[in-house]
Amino acid sequence: MTNRDTESKIKRAFSNTVPDIRDSILSDCKTQEGAVIVMTDTNRKTFSPRRLAGIAAAFVLLIGGMTGFQIYRANYSVASTVSLDVNPSIEIQVNKKEQVLMVNPRNEDAEVVVGDMDFKGSSLDVTINALIGSMLRNGYLNELANSILISVDNQDPAKSAELQERLANEINAVLQTGTFNGAVLSQSISADSNLRALAEDYGITLGKAQLIQQIIEQNAFYSFADLVPLSINELNLLTESGRLNLANVNSLGTASDKAYIGEEKAKEIALSHAGAAADKLTQYEIELDYEHGAMVYEVEFKSEGFEYDYEIDAVTGSILKSQKETDDDYIPPQTDAPKPEAGNGSSQTNQTNTQTGGDSSQANPNQSQASQEGTKPKTSYIDEDQAKSAALSHAGVSANAVTEYESELDREHGIMVYEIDFKCEGFEYEYEIDASTGAVLKNQKEQDDDYIPPQTGGQQPSGGNGGYIGEARAKEIAFSHAGVSANTVHEYEAKLDEDDGIMIYEIEFKAGNYEYEYEIDAASGSVLKYAWDED
Amino acid sequence: MIICLTSANDSGGEPDSSRLDRCLWAIAREDSQALAELYDCTSPSVYAFALSILKNTQDAEDVLHDCYLQIYSAAAKYQASGKPMAWILTITRNLCLLKLRERRRMADLPPENWEPYLEACQSASPEDRLILTECMRLLSDEERQIVILHAVAGFKHRETAKLLELPLSTVLSKYNRAMKKLKNHIGKEY
Repeated sequence: MTNRDTESKIKRAFSNTVPDIRDSILSDCKTQEGAVIVMTDTNRKTFSPRRLAGIAAAFVLLIGGMTGFQIYRANYSVASTVSLDVNPSIEIQVNKKEQVLMVNPRNEDAEVVVGDMDFKGSSLDVTINALIGSMLRNGYLNELANSILISVDNQDPAKSAELQERLANEINAVLQTGTFNGAVLSQSISADSNLRALAEDYGITLGKAQLIQQIIEQNAFYSFADLVPLSINELNLLTESGRLNLANVNSLGTASDKAYIGEEKAKEIALSHAGAAADKLTQYEIELDYEHGAMVYEVEFKSEGFEYDYEIDAVTGSILKSQKETDDDYIPPQTDAPKPEAGNGSSQTNQTNTQTGGDSSQANPNQSQASQEGTKPKTSYIDEDQAKSAALSHAGVSANAVTEYESELDREHGIMVYEIDFKCEGFEYEYEIDASTGAVLKNQKEQDDDYIPPQTGGQQPSGGNGGYIGEARAKEIAFSHAGVSANTVHEYEAKLDEDDGIMIYEIEFKAGNYEYEYEIDAASGSVLKYAWDED
Repeated sequence: MIICLTSANDSGGEPDSSRLDRCLWAIAREDSQALAELYDCTSPSVYAFALSILKNTQDAEDVLHDCYLQIYSAAAKYQASGKPMAWILTITRNLCLLKLRERRRMADLPPENWEPYLEACQSASPEDRLILTECMRLLSDEERQIVILHAVAGFKHRETAKLLELPLSTVLSKYNRAMKKLKNHIGKEY
């Protein structure tokens, strides 16, 4: 049986059991009609039995309500809010006696975790135990993602801290008994209204918002929105890998990176791409980071006169960015180096470069480098086209697929280079081409975050009708939505307009006794707004 | 009852918005015929939604009654926005919430026994009765409201999310879970 079948059965079942009170409504409206006229000044009311009963009930409520209030406060007012975040985010509200008032799943995963369990009135400990159990059973906590964040929100900071510590230890103990070790982050909420609004906007718990906030404060490269989709395990990994020191967060255990290829594997991939030997590396650094919406290993190292910079997708191991650059600080091994003050400049650069130091008299902050260069007059460089084709052929892209191409002759590392930037099919390239030899000194390839694949592209507002449905189609959509046929329409007007940054067709027409107004999304053809009125 | 039946059938899927807009426009001018028409098109949705919140046929009937009185007196304030059902069901929901508050203060009623009401309802087939009972028994309050809004009132999930003030993702997942439960139970017997 399909959903549709079930739906129509439900619809029929309810439709067939509606009590027919149409006539009583109509006659009640008539009496109301009489009242409405006088109501404007004297406010006369018809006291039907129904209404009298209502007033009596209201009295009972008022009295009952007042006496009940004190009891209500002790048992039903929220004393603490505890939130659990893994990826499922769950908020638990408890009263003073730590009995659960409400368990509030904050996302879809959380609903799976909570399922049909009803915690109302249970103790907080039992509830948390059951929820952790359910997270384990449902695979939200496992050896690949073992981190959980506990946030306690209580007016009284001492009480908060006590509860935070107790719960963290308890949960930690529960997780250690499994087949893997958990990592428990805990914090007390000290959120201002600003953070509350952020949490609300993004639909996350206050606890997760506070954690993200603290990470951003430590690392300005992340934005709040970037980190919202990450699980606590991922946030925990970023914190550990970036050696961030989150003052208000207590951490037990270590976040699992088993879902990722691991630092060793990332290193191997980078080295084999660079063709560098592991034993010739210097200044090797690796860090797990979050870039372009994915977890990546950032690998940096130097080897034999070059500096390398890689970004490797932490899940798939694919290379998202690679950069190779001559290492200005490189000291070549003492072979036949003739220069006694071999402080600077790579040997390769010097060799390819001996006749290019024409303008070494220019102020160069790197003075020793400048002094090395000869003072021969400027010789001919390769022209820009040659540099371009060197870069394109290195990148393996064809000239007509390239966009945003820019090139500039510049002095770098003491030699003249063409700096060439361009984009092609979702990647941004940066090259430095030796202006005298045409050698590729630096190349960098990176994902282009602004890239719009061609199918959905062409929505530039300035692009005329490119990518739009066209006025004729918009007209059809409006007419069929209004249920009018084209030959009954008069005073038809349409124009293409921009509204709130999207392009729309504004369509107005008259048909029958009505005047219609439509706004149709010019790209998708959906009806954004419509109104009609008696003509 | 017969009127309800035919109108539910001839309106096909969800009640047609521009028709309802026209009704409301006329109701604002105290056209009781238009109110009758509106009642015929929309009462299944109003009643089902009220029932899904209140779980009590008597209360749902009260809300059904009060809802149309309120529509009658407020229609002049309604602005044709293309969402007449949303407007009507917002009124319904508010009345239900009032009712619930009232009921809570009056001490909780025991869950209603459906059987006598359904027995008395001549127009309901045995299958209808089963479905109603299962909807009430199997689904959580929220699930039930979500299903009713989609299946009976023809709401898009996005609209349901707005009316119930829930995130869209919640509505979607609850809807799917609810349908799974219902299909498991209803499907076996029919």
